[in-house]
Amino acid sequence: MKKLCLAALAVAGLSSGLAQTVVKLQGFGGNDTAIMSSLVREVVNPALEKDGIRAEYQGIEGDYKAALLNALAAGTAGDLFYVDIFWSEPVFASGKVEPLDAYFSKQELGVFVPSLLNAFSFKGKIYGLPKDFNTLALQFNKDLFDEAGVKYPNQADTWETFKAKLQQVQSKLKDVAGMCVVADFARFGAFAYATGWKPFNAQGKTVLDANFKRAFEFYTSLVKDGAGKYAQDLGEGWTGGCFGSEKAAVAIEGNWIGGFLKDKAPNMKFGTTFLPLDPVTKQRGNFIYTVSWSMNAASKNKQAAAKVLRALASPEAQNWILSRGLALPSRSALAGSPVFQRADKYGELSRVVFNGSTRQGGNVLPFKFGSYDGGDWMRPINEALQAVITGKKSVDQAIADAQTELNKLVK
Amino acid sequence: MPSSKRTEALYALLFISPFLLHLLIFFIFAFVRTIWFSFTDKTTLRDSYNFVGLQNFINLFGEERFLLALQHSIGFMLVVTTIQTFLALATAAVLNQRLRGITFFRTVYYIPSVLSSAAVTVIAIWFFQKTGFLNTFIGWVSAHSPVILALVGSFVLAQAVQVGLERMRGLPVAPTDPALAAISAVVAIALTWLLGAMGLVGPREARPPEFTWLTNPDSFLGLPIPLWSIVMLNIFTTIPTLMLIFLAGLQDIPKSVYEAAAIDGASPVQQFFWVTVPMLRPVTFLVVTLSLIGTLQMFDQVALMGDSAPLNSIIVMAYYVYNSVFSGEGQIGMASAAALVLAVLTFVVVFLQRTFGISEKAH
Repeated sequence: MKKLCLAALAVAGLSSGLAQTVVKLQGFGGNDTAIMSSLVREVVNPALEKDGIRAEYQGIEGDYKAALLNALAAGTAGDLFYVDIFWSEPVFASGKVEPLDAYFSKQELGVFVPSLLNAFSFKGKIYGLPKDFNTLALQFNKDLFDEAGVKYPNQADTWETFKAKLQQVQSKLKDVAGMCVVADFARFGAFAYATGWKPFNAQGKTVLDANFKRAFEFYTSLVKDGAGKYAQDLGEGWTGGCFGSEKAAVAIEGNWIGGFLKDKAPNMKFGTTFLPLDPVTKQRGNFIYTVSWSMNAASKNKQAAAKVLRALASPEAQNWILSRGLALPSRSALAGSPVFQRADKYGELSRVVFNGSTRQGGNVLPFKFGSYDGGDWMRPINEALQAVITGKKSVDQAIADAQTELNKLVK
Repeated sequence: MPSSKRTEALYALLFISPFLLHLLIFFIFAFVRTIWFSFTDKTTLRDSYNFVGLQNFINLFGEERFLLALQHSIGFMLVVTTIQTFLALATAAVLNQRLRGITFFRTVYYIPSVLSSAAVTVIAIWFFQKTGFLNTFIGWVSAHSPVILALVGSFVLAQAVQVGLERMRGLPVAPTDPALAAISAVVAIALTWLLGAMGLVGPREARPPEFTWLTNPDSFLGLPIPLWSIVMLNIFTTIPTLMLIFLAGLQDIPKSVYEAAAIDGASPVQQFFWVTVPMLRPVTFLVVTLSLIGTLQMFDQVALMGDSAPLNSIIVMAYYVYNSVFSGEGQIGMASAAALVLAVLTFVVVFLQRTFGISEKAH
């Protein structure tokens, strides 16, 4: 009996010596699971070993937003989790997310790109640290343009000159579309922003005005005027899919297309430039897509979670991600990273996407829609694009219908 | 109660306890919570909520999208149940024959229900595209219609001539005589080839129709065209299961009944309508009931269609419930009310079908 007691004491002593605070991280599944698990293992956990803290990443496959909302409501969400800017505000407003101002000093927060940090502030408080970000850029297949004998798109192109180039490619190369056009605000919106149009006016209402219509007419005319084909008719769901399989000569995507092209078309010679300019305003438009690391207000390990958060957003972690060409850093200081100066096609892609968030990007707005669910807000516009591209409605009719739907939503 | 009986009851309870527990947690508890939430303004993320009485139900019936979902669900249920019950019975009757290689056909016809709904829907998105398989196939058929018409025409002609000749000789051959049909087929192929070689018959220029299935806002017989695509898809994947139930039912009908009918002079068609159909009533009742419930609660195919089709043209009740919970703030109260309406509708439909439709008793 005595021996048994001693053994039990020894086990208890051993386990208390090994006691570690485990911080649960939740984010997207797919590629992110492999990437984040490596980052946590190689960068975050070694840095926190002395504090007795260990982070564990759990990727959620399928509908991440539904899973997170469920977990938050049920009290089973991780200590730290991704919040997509696209649907961030209703989540921050719910009180389920811990404001970070108490855990980070002004100085610590000041190192992030201001527009990114602002994207995650709500009622004067910071609810998340930007993990990384992306903007849109124009990728073009050099071989296809050479074969068609057409000049490459460049940053001086306006909508008209850009469209003319695509028309030439499409008419010279019979089985290649200039661009595959998606009926999606996530691409079309950049053109609408170029005109100076904003999703919400000063009264907080969405008005599809003359500027919106001008961009709408240009975007849908790409299909009508033989400069592009509707993505679904080519059997693709995104412009990168058409581009990677050489069904289209250009794509409008962010840095994420780099990894896809490395797998799908490693030998493709492609270049990257900025989106074309609105011929009237001489501006271009762009989106900032970003995801934050946010803290669960119901977490039992808030102090430990803050330490993990600091490690996840550290220069080491962001350099690790950047050097693997995965995403762009949210720290201003990393803008001068040698990765952006690389002369190869992926270096150019990262550089243009990074600069898309600066003044060169023109009218850049974060991909967020205030207190509205982004999906609900975009749906009427996406359906209007689809109806016009497939020839089911006139531009005026489609915009009028979308306005009616938006009026019901945006009170 | 004697102790042996008590032990027996205890064992019985023990054996069904996993199921009871499951029922209690996942059905009864969930159902009671849903009823409670339907009278509140609960959202996914807010912890506090108020009792609002019948307000959610009143709001629901004033909401355009809900009424649309209701209309689509009922339409979908009626169309799919009718078509798939009929086709499943017909397929089962065909597969119940004693033919060489019938197991092969039974397996082939059953395959669609083995495939995962997600995979089939993703393929269907591609199948229904403007330049997808369906339109290309329709284009091919229309381009080759002269050849097909020539083939069918010469077959009918050859068969008519042969049957006519045989009857003139006093032999009572049926117009569908298989031996003569085999000869007619050979003659038809040869004749069509000859016409083709002479340049009289040939395919026209292929022109696939410009019809859009998934993005078409038009309606046909009260249902939007994109929902018709899901109708086709759903029928394709559900028929095999129902067919299997019918097939099991068919094999339970004693051969002696058919023999008696045959002796009384009933033709195969008469046997089907006066023996098979009435004897299959309990099975038909099961199939129709399963189909009504399944179609009313159809969710996966709409969810997987995603943005390929406008939401208002494919939304059904189950998807409305899901969409209310997982968009914006998450209207749990409204969604619960909608889920209850769906449950009541299901009960009513099954009750009506039991009372006025096909009953479960063989006559």
